Amino acid sequence: MKIKNLFVLLIVLSLTTSVIFGCGQKAASPKQPTGERILNIFSWADNFSPQVIADFEKKYNVKVNYDVYASNEELLAKIQAGGAQYDLVQPSDYMVATMIKLNLLEKLDKTKIPNLKNIVSTFQTPAFDPGSQYSIVYTWGITGIAYNTKYIKDKPSSWQDLWKPQYKNRLVLLNDSREILGMALRKNGFSNSSRNHGELEIAFKDLKKLVPNLLAFDTDTIKQKFIAEEAWIGTVWSGDAAFILKDNKNIAFTIPKEGTTVWADTLAIPKGAKHKELAQLFINYLLDPKVSVKNYEEIGYSNPNEKAYPLHSTEYRNNPIINLSKEQINKGEWLKDVGNTLEVYDRYWTELKTGK
Amino acid sequence: MNKKVLAWPILVWLTLFLTVPLCFVVAVSFIQRSAYGQLIYRFTIQNYLRLIEPLYIQIFIDTLLMAILTTIITFILGYPLAYTITKMNKHLQNIWLVLVMIPFWINSLIRSYAWVIILRSQGLINTLLLSWGIIDQPLALLYNSSSVLLGMVYTQLPFMVLPIYVSLEQLDRRLLEASSDLGATPWKTFWHITLPLTLPGIAAGSILVFISALGMFVVPDIVGGAKSALIGNLIQNQFLSARNWPFGSALSIVLSVFSLILILLYYRVLKVQQTKEVKP
Repeated sequence: MKIKNLFVLLIVLSLTTSVIFGCGQKAASPKQPTGERILNIFSWADNFSPQVIADFEKKYNVKVNYDVYASNEELLAKIQAGGAQYDLVQPSDYMVATMIKLNLLEKLDKTKIPNLKNIVSTFQTPAFDPGSQYSIVYTWGITGIAYNTKYIKDKPSSWQDLWKPQYKNRLVLLNDSREILGMALRKNGFSNSSRNHGELEIAFKDLKKLVPNLLAFDTDTIKQKFIAEEAWIGTVWSGDAAFILKDNKNIAFTIPKEGTTVWADTLAIPKGAKHKELAQLFINYLLDPKVSVKNYEEIGYSNPNEKAYPLHSTEYRNNPIINLSKEQINKGEWLKDVGNTLEVYDRYWTELKTGK
Repeated sequence: MNKKVLAWPILVWLTLFLTVPLCFVVAVSFIQRSAYGQLIYRFTIQNYLRLIEPLYIQIFIDTLLMAILTTIITFILGYPLAYTITKMNKHLQNIWLVLVMIPFWINSLIRSYAWVIILRSQGLINTLLLSWGIIDQPLALLYNSSSVLLGMVYTQLPFMVLPIYVSLEQLDRRLLEASSDLGATPWKTFWHITLPLTLPGIAAGSILVFISALGMFVVPDIVGGAKSALIGNLIQNQFLSARNWPFGSALSIVLSVFSLILILLYYRVLKVQQTKEVKP
């Protein structure tokens, strides 16, 4: 073989592999086998019990495709790029507001979701979706500090503790711009959704000083980093902390005194979804008390389903990370849509991620 | 005539899936965007002006250094490997070549996670070293620039080995015999005959490794902990997290033009070499 021919061959090979790399994080495009209905879900990693999905597939002869994203911003980017291939998405609170504003969500037909009445009244009309026409609260929780008691003896009480030099290369932060900038804003006594450029600059400069401690930015596999004890301390969602605790008993969870972010993940249908009926059927299925018990016991997140409470195991009901106290919840602030200031957030996040 | 017909499908393919998308990328790199990331069809060169901010220049330099290091290390590892393979009998050669190629058949995402499992605190290496009592604290092998470099070298090695192997294969053995007949030591023969004659293979391998290392983002993301930004990560970040497609496009264009210049240079050098060979 001539060297030039091989060169061309390898260039083509490297191009195709890079195309495959690029698609690696997306799942294969959905296909339509005969006689079977398809439900395409786009959600966070590990957000459903695989068993619950399998049961649904069997009961209704449906094929469920489950793709994942790692942040609300990634969800928005992919839906803006053409979201009609998905039937069900799970934006968090502030992103629901943004997506409604950008006309990216379908109105739900509540007559098709009779089990909606099972949801506790406090989550029936959330502030981010007045009249709750577009979204249904799926789970909720709070962002706090998870830490490994084997390595960290004094319980962290403040966000400031993340900056301690002895946690060098042991800190993991959520790979999520609003969460992390919001955390630094709260630490400095501001709102987590500040639109004030000066406040944002203070938060950003503070975060840059945190970089030397940083092991990794991670959302998808942050649980594994704690379970395998690579990370000793970090910003973790309460539901993930409960999940970690199942596999590593040394993990503790605490809410810092400066306050934090409280959030809710929702169920919503993107504009132009091809299987809206099926998505509503699935939502209704998830809200069935028995199904939801099975689902939430496995994923470790808080269940907003009032009818399901008595059916849960005592272990689940007594877990303080899942059943947060009033006092803890009151320390939380919802993230809000920040309008044009989002550009400033994006820019600071880009700079932070370069680690310079 | 026949040949032209055969070329049509691939031409259509390239136009549809390479040229047209590339035109879109060029176009998008010259327009504006709204705060929420929607494209605003108004001309601007702001996206290119932003590239000369020190932050992005620094990222570009870091990426270049990483790509150069990757190229040098894959050469140091790849040349002896290719050389050893050519010294084997035909049967063994084929086995070794297949072994070099096999990693291509596995998705690179999976291969990157495999490195995580090997290198992490409770991973293979640390567990072994701890149980043998060589260390008493797990070593921090992951999420730093060395682990990124390791991952890059690992992924790129076949691109270096294969072209060098081919150029060694094609080497005229009679020249080597003549050299040793004239009293040259094996080392001298290698330095004055083998190495210069396999330069085209080295150049091809180096360019391939260098260019794919420049655009790499999966390895730094997984093995590097998503905190060491190379230009590929910056681009990915602009398209997903920051939703700044125009700026991401401008970055992509600069990267593509840079790679293209390198490939053109390679062909220029190759041409000069070939004409030299023709007129003795």
